Amino acid sequence: MNPRISLFSLGALLVVSGPCFSPTAQARTWTSTDGKPLQAIFIGIEGENLKFKLQNGNQIVVPKDRFIKADQEAAERLAKIGDDSFTKASARQIDTLLAGALKKNGFNSFNEPLPDDLFVRRVYLDIIGRIPTREEFLAFAENARPDKREALIDELLLSPGFSSNMFNYFADMYRLNASDFDNGIRMDPYIQWWKDQLEANRPYHEIVSDMLTAQGNVGQNPASGFLLRDTGMEFDAFANFGQVMLGIDISCAQCHDHPFDEWTQGDFYEMAAFFGNTQRSLGYRPASAMMGAASVEMPNAPAGWRNNFMKWAETTKGIVPMDQNSNQFRFFVAALGWNLTDNETLETVLPADFIGEGGKPGEIASPRTLIGDAAKLGGKTRRQAVADWLTDPTNPRFSLVIANRMWGRAFGRAIVEPVNDLSDDELKRASQPEVMRHLESEMRRVNYDLREFMRILYNTRAYQSIATFEEPDLTKPYYFVGPVLRRMRAEQAWDSMMLLAHGAEIDKKTGGDGSFYKKILNIDFTTATNDDVWRHYEMWQSLRGGQSAMAMASESGDDYSPVLVNDTELRASELPQPAPAASMLDTFGQSDRRITDDHNYDGSVPQVLALMNGTITQQLTGISSKIVSDLEALDGPDDKVRGVFATLLNRFPTKEELDLGTGMIEDFGDEGISDLAWALMNGPEFLFIQ
Amino acid sequence: MDHIAELAGKDPLSRRYFMEMTAKLTLGLSVGVPFLPRTFQAQGGAKAKNLIYIYLAGGMTHLDTFDPKKNRDVMADTEMIDTNVDNMKFGMHLKELSKQADKLAVINSMMSTNGAHEQGEYIMRTGYEKRATIVHPTIGPWAQTLLGKRGEILPDSVLIGQSTSNAGFMDPSFSPLPIADPSGGVPNTTLIVEGERFDRRMEMAQKLGQQFADKFKYTGPKSYVEYYTQANRLLKSDALTAFDISNESNRADYGENRLGQGCLLARKLVESGVRVVEVVSGGWDMHLDVSGGTASRLPELDVAVATLLKDLESRGLLESTIVAIGTEFGRTPDINMNAGRDHYPAAYSCVLAGGGIKGGTVYGETDGAGKKVKVNPVKPEDFLATIGYGLGLNQEETIYSPTQRPFTFADKGAPVTALFA
Repeated sequence: MNPRISLFSLGALLVVSGPCFSPTAQARTWTSTDGKPLQAIFIGIEGENLKFKLQNGNQIVVPKDRFIKADQEAAERLAKIGDDSFTKASARQIDTLLAGALKKNGFNSFNEPLPDDLFVRRVYLDIIGRIPTREEFLAFAENARPDKREALIDELLLSPGFSSNMFNYFADMYRLNASDFDNGIRMDPYIQWWKDQLEANRPYHEIVSDMLTAQGNVGQNPASGFLLRDTGMEFDAFANFGQVMLGIDISCAQCHDHPFDEWTQGDFYEMAAFFGNTQRSLGYRPASAMMGAASVEMPNAPAGWRNNFMKWAETTKGIVPMDQNSNQFRFFVAALGWNLTDNETLETVLPADFIGEGGKPGEIASPRTLIGDAAKLGGKTRRQAVADWLTDPTNPRFSLVIANRMWGRAFGRAIVEPVNDLSDDELKRASQPEVMRHLESEMRRVNYDLREFMRILYNTRAYQSIATFEEPDLTKPYYFVGPVLRRMRAEQAWDSMMLLAHGAEIDKKTGGDGSFYKKILNIDFTTATNDDVWRHYEMWQSLRGGQSAMAMASESGDDYSPVLVNDTELRASELPQPAPAASMLDTFGQSDRRITDDHNYDGSVPQVLALMNGTITQQLTGISSKIVSDLEALDGPDDKVRGVFATLLNRFPTKEELDLGTGMIEDFGDEGISDLAWALMNGPEFLFIQ
Repeated sequence: MDHIAELAGKDPLSRRYFMEMTAKLTLGLSVGVPFLPRTFQAQGGAKAKNLIYIYLAGGMTHLDTFDPKKNRDVMADTEMIDTNVDNMKFGMHLKELSKQADKLAVINSMMSTNGAHEQGEYIMRTGYEKRATIVHPTIGPWAQTLLGKRGEILPDSVLIGQSTSNAGFMDPSFSPLPIADPSGGVPNTTLIVEGERFDRRMEMAQKLGQQFADKFKYTGPKSYVEYYTQANRLLKSDALTAFDISNESNRADYGENRLGQGCLLARKLVESGVRVVEVVSGGWDMHLDVSGGTASRLPELDVAVATLLKDLESRGLLESTIVAIGTEFGRTPDINMNAGRDHYPAAYSCVLAGGGIKGGTVYGETDGAGKKVKVNPVKPEDFLATIGYGLGLNQEETIYSPTQRPFTFADKGAPVTALFA
């Protein structure tokens, strides 16, 4: 086989010549009620006291009420999210590096600083995935505190909207799909697991490691969903691993050497061999012909359990498992049965049409990593070895991929594009290698805490600049003088519409049936009786009987009856994944979750027709809509026009706009308000994040 | 269209940029600019200009339809009937089609390696094996790419019977317009407010949006301005009537069911200038009681297709329109314990008619039990290549995905040229 281990130039750069970029904390200045300053890093609240670390390393404890009110509030915020001394230092460092690069390339400085109104709309959309309410907008506009921006960023990062919005991103990246797969696998518990990880802000490398090493079925171990997702298409599963975790699109090397990059067909199979003894089986038979024909039982079930249960069901309950009439039963057993294990007798075999060098069709491919230090098996399972190799701090690729992606989320354009295929050439061409290196090392420093990483980016001067007016040419380097203009994601548009229809209550509403599926599918076969399993089947039926009914598990212990959720008032992350065909989310480009990063941002005539004439528009801008009725309390056409602008666009109208609007209201009353709201929803400004 | 010229001028990649931009504005539904003319060499038969692809999702039984056998063991309750062509026999439910067998080319040697619905349907509609790293386009977007956009207001392709569609790796604007319910027309074309008030709203939206669109020199907001113009034009044009079958005089002839009405809408759309119409019909997965299933579904298919062929012929459209019937696999010759038939990809039947196809043809043959293909096997990609041959799609032309992977129409499938007159 090919002995070459290709080392990316970037890898070499990072590991060999990368200087240490760790930021030095910039201690915050705290002010006492008698006006005395204290420069210190905040540690936490202890009872009625605040605890600090001084620059000399000593710790001190000071009664909370010795500080001014603003600082007491800041302490409460920082106690929840962590001190920001390093955050701000890191943000300044990024700004310095960016400023250096842009000056070198003929720019004077960043774009103009972002005014408050644009700031508040942008951070709400970027961080919690929806526009602010009129009240939230006004509260920020009227807030005179100097630290109000960092306070708002922290507040939003701590709110449930943050993980909802993150989920939408990862659901696209990891192709989270809760529809019925042909083979009966249900991904719902895996999807719920993703939500739980994001809500707990679990370090990203731990999430990834869990997914790569998972054993069992999705009920018992939801992380197994990542590898079970592509059952029957194991090489595609591997190619997806390459794209999302390593940022390499090696899919074409499955059939021939990569035409542009260094990957060979041999490399593909050697790397794929790390998953070569991964076995996806449906209880009684392996899923893939490629994987041999070992007979496997239900996960953790006593031998023969499945057949015994089926016979029991047939005699006791009259269900013939293979009967068309008992489709639900078959799906139930399949959903329970899909299982992920390692089977040492399995190998990755070079395919019949293998044309690469160093091997012949039918030969076994040995596991070998493509980048950096080779993964060492050393007694570990292959998947454990590849997970450890991937998330090892010396692997330059893993941290870079996720840092680059997170940067792309904040700025509308990643440092290196496309984010799922960072080719050697693109990395060499990267316009700001020093920024890239810094982000990579910061990702490691924050220990893959994505919330803290985003917090750094949102606190940069670069981010808090107005969006660049000219569309940057994708073929040329972009120096991040500010973020670029983006259309809202489908989920941001939907969540903003839900907000306009129902108010900020939508943030707290959860739906989805992931937790319910998890309850149904989580069975301990070592203790479960046939009757227990049957009880789970009945729950399954009660959930699925209602077809599209959204259900969640009741929290009260053993009560497994589904609680139905009104799915017209839910955020995108709480709806079925992905949203149904022809829904508003689908029309606005939500990924159908077949391939990674497949969201699209284009408009279309059907989309525009939905905005013009759709049910949601009627609901949002009709005469009895929340938008119109909320403005009843305001006096006079001027205030009403300001109110409509503040509600939909989170800014006040210009003089000209005000005149236009008041003219409408004077002529047509409430109908005029409704028309104005319609016009703002149907203008380009509503859908874009500037 | 000034802004398009402006956009075209501003970028060094202008030709590609221009094409993309034009495509974005056109696709989906409408556009004032015809697609750039392409210098293409018409390939193959190329007599056909349009395609109506009737897709029977679930796997149509071959033995009970176009490949009946004398062997009673494999035929269950289905009787074999004569057609107006000597060597062609059909199952008894295809009474109307048996009178028009001279228009049909029946392929009884279809073979697929995909025994699961999703994978099987995927290759039958895209010509490619399903992958988890890329989505391949269906025929509509392929035809639009290889032949250029045809109409100005109407979309190039329409998908009837499903509520969503995509263009695979091609520009999303090439996606067929989905019409879930053939009697329902284009969604969201009923105005919330009418007349002057609607105009007032549009004018207001335009005035208030102009400043934003001017401020940001991006294609995104500009394309939205254009989409609104086009949507408005569409709402006020009579193009929407092409989607309205409520006043068609022969509605009942097609059958009062989704498949029948879908075929009627397909005819009307092709007549109005749409190039490719897919009509997807579900419910062909007859694991249970195949006799009951065929008795209820086959007459629908029979009447719908027979009426479609006559209707196209009487309007002078049959010579220029290929009518195809496809499905992902056949069904087992053995009847299972539930009196049904299970999935059977090793042998199945598909049908072509019109558009230069030689009618009265039976191509390929299975053994006496309908179990094995004896001669002239046809794979899914060959079937698509045959349709492409009829439409003049150049199978040699390589189209690159955004990730620079090369693709050609129907994945190197071999067209069955013997089926063309």
